[in-house]
Amino acid sequence: MKKAVELVLLLLLLFFTPHIMGKRYSPPGKPTLTRCRSPEKETFTCWWEPGSDGGLPTTHALYYRKESSERVYECPDYHTAGENSCFFNKNDTSIWVNYNITVVATNTLGSAFSDPVDVDVVYIVKPNPPEKQTVTIMEDKGWPFLRVSWEPPQKADTRSGWITLIYELRVKLEEENEWEMHLAGHQKTFNIFSLRSGGKYLVEVRCKPDHGFWSEWSSTSYIKVPDYFHREKSVWILLTIFSAFIFLILTWLLHMNSRSLKNCILPPVPGPKIKGFDNQLLKNGKSDEIFSALMVSNFPPTTSSNYEDLLVEYLEVYVPVEQELMQEESKDLHGGCLKCERSTSDSDSGRGSCDSHTLLMDKCGETKEEGRHTDRASSRMLTEAQRHQKGWEKDTLTYAHGDMVSPDMSNGRVKTWPSVFSPLPQYSSNPLDKQSSLEMAKQHCLSTSSCLTQPGHSTKEALGPSNWDFCLGNKQPHLLHPQTQVGRQLQAHSEVNISNIGRKQAPAGLQSPALRSTEYVEVQRVNEEDLVLLQPVVSGCGRIEGYPQMPKGKDYSKVKGVDSDNMLLLQREVMEEDWWTGNCYTSSTVNTTQKPTACIHTAMPVQGDMALAMNGYVDTATMCTLPTC
Amino acid sequence: MTYSLLVACGLVYMELSMRVVTAPICAYGQAGCHAPSLADLFERVIQQSSRMHGISSDLHSELEQYFFPRKNVLGKHKCHTYGILTPDDKENAQRLGREQLTDVILSLLAAWSDPLSQLHRSMSQDQNQNFNDHSYSKALEISDMVHELREGVAIMAEKMKLLGVLGNTMGYISPESLVPSSAFTFYKQGELNSVDHHDLLYCFRRDSNKVKNYLQILKCTILPGLDC
Repeated sequence: MKKAVELVLLLLLLFFTPHIMGKRYSPPGKPTLTRCRSPEKETFTCWWEPGSDGGLPTTHALYYRKESSERVYECPDYHTAGENSCFFNKNDTSIWVNYNITVVATNTLGSAFSDPVDVDVVYIVKPNPPEKQTVTIMEDKGWPFLRVSWEPPQKADTRSGWITLIYELRVKLEEENEWEMHLAGHQKTFNIFSLRSGGKYLVEVRCKPDHGFWSEWSSTSYIKVPDYFHREKSVWILLTIFSAFIFLILTWLLHMNSRSLKNCILPPVPGPKIKGFDNQLLKNGKSDEIFSALMVSNFPPTTSSNYEDLLVEYLEVYVPVEQELMQEESKDLHGGCLKCERSTSDSDSGRGSCDSHTLLMDKCGETKEEGRHTDRASSRMLTEAQRHQKGWEKDTLTYAHGDMVSPDMSNGRVKTWPSVFSPLPQYSSNPLDKQSSLEMAKQHCLSTSSCLTQPGHSTKEALGPSNWDFCLGNKQPHLLHPQTQVGRQLQAHSEVNISNIGRKQAPAGLQSPALRSTEYVEVQRVNEEDLVLLQPVVSGCGRIEGYPQMPKGKDYSKVKGVDSDNMLLLQREVMEEDWWTGNCYTSSTVNTTQKPTACIHTAMPVQGDMALAMNGYVDTATMCTLPTC
Repeated sequence: MTYSLLVACGLVYMELSMRVVTAPICAYGQAGCHAPSLADLFERVIQQSSRMHGISSDLHSELEQYFFPRKNVLGKHKCHTYGILTPDDKENAQRLGREQLTDVILSLLAAWSDPLSQLHRSMSQDQNQNFNDHSYSKALEISDMVHELREGVAIMAEKMKLLGVLGNTMGYISPESLVPSSAFTFYKQGELNSVDHHDLLYCFRRDSNKVKNYLQILKCTILPGLDC
């Protein structure tokens, strides 16, 4: 009894232990068809994924149904394609037919059906990768390229036209990460250009039917591009050599033209040039010596020294041939004033003059000649006077314009005076020479018998500065007045000096009248009748020494003309128009007729030949001047 | 100045020398026209059929998205061209011979001319507005292409016969003997709706693929070359 109970208990235990232990068997899980593929459109394979097996051994079965048929077939081959697969061979495969496929999983407890899948083989074609892939290096005009060729997969029958494949290849360098894709279409060869020299390339090919899936990539082909870099290198070497050569040439050119380039790019800054300034002295630090060197002994000019130097640079040389001859002869004491006669050209530049020769030449050639001589003497004095002047532009004094009638009008003087010195360099050497030259000029003009002597110097100083100013043209008449007065004053001073100088040398053999003071009458203008309108200088009448007084008024003497004796005929226009005859006597008589306040000092040519300068100026040195009040 | 003159002269010369010669193409090689070669004809025809198949696939997939969950399922399990015997694998196709293959192609193309035009009309009248403008244009396009392809294949067949590569065929097969008279109504399931369109397009997609494949087989049989 007890044994029976034990047996029953054991049996019960055996039955219920599985339940007690919790282990359950269940029907299999639902399998799923993962994919179906056909490699050549002639066979196909389907794979499934089984579900849970339920703890029991499960079997799977694949059933299919063809389109428009209710007959169910089971998979003919479960093993060819591997685990959980079904392989349909050629006989079982129909194209353009819809397969309805189902997988069933079965175990002892039950079975499970997968979801049905409709498959048309045409649309599940996935070919094998292309085969027999080759990569070779070929050359195109010296540049290498890769030629890739392949064969379609063996199973795919492209030869009969059953399958049409398109191909695609990819290339990359060994060290790169990204592939370069190329679609080859239906062709079975492909060229790859633009290779890197010495690079190692990887090439792969795949294919696809017209409507299907891409195959897997073929096995990689490796190819190494040969080094054509040396060809490039030689080009670089040539380029380097050529550029170095060019560079050397440029450097040499630069070196040769360094100076001119320097002057072009960095022009030299003009430094100050101070006459007498010695840099070395400055460095030595002896200021006394430096500044003493700077000091020009004759600056400000107190004497008539070197004033020609200051004016030389402004001189404009215009010396006609005849004039030169004449001037040269004038140096000679024995040279004749005769030759001074009738020179039709100006002794001065001509430009600087008021074109006096053109105006006066036709009628008063003698006056010019005379004037020239007077100019020589007077110009020296005048230039000396000019140096006393402040504010006078030396440029304007000496600069000569061709078109200006009287460029020197700034001082009311004709600029011809400085130019007189240019053809006569000996005059500019030193004051003594000047004085002697002045004297000579005076002398030789006076040495002729025809030259009338001047009145005594008692009258000379009284004359003061009387200036002959041939101011031809009306260009700058306004400049006459303010400056002429100053000029006259200074000139008077200079004249006095020169007259003093001349006085000293008077006993040298000159006739007394040689030391007469030079007087100037300012020529205001020449009117249309070829009359030189002179402006008489009212100077210190009655004063023998000292500075003459400023002219009180402006009395002008008209030059009526030149008579046959080459004498300047003056016409006093202030009060009356009288004809002057050209000698002292007559002038004196004329003077007496003047107003007492009007002192007209007229310098008249004593003898027309020599007294009359070529340029038409009346040379006061040769004139008889009568101070009259 | 001279440079521009030279350039002008060069251009004029180029234009004169490189003039494109245009001549009408006639399939039968009449006098005065340039007849294309058989290879050209094959290529054109195959390209046309490939394009036609592509458009029909697009149209079918567009309709497909509106039908959950029926994917790739034929409602009626039949296409109206079921009467036309078509080889369903390579061996059968090769066994069929070129003349019959040509006939099959022509039959298929003839069978689809009318239904496609009706499809287009039907789609434009659809109340559901399931189709966009692209669908309309595609339907019209494939209907035109079917007509053109049918004519092209006929011309090609004639040329092949002239060349002697093709024997006597059955000639132009009238679709009525093989195909139901009212092909379009064959797909109708009650009221005309989009399901009918879907089935029709499903069938046409398949038949266009057949046409293309048969043409390719024909080409590689008659003109084996690099492409085959």
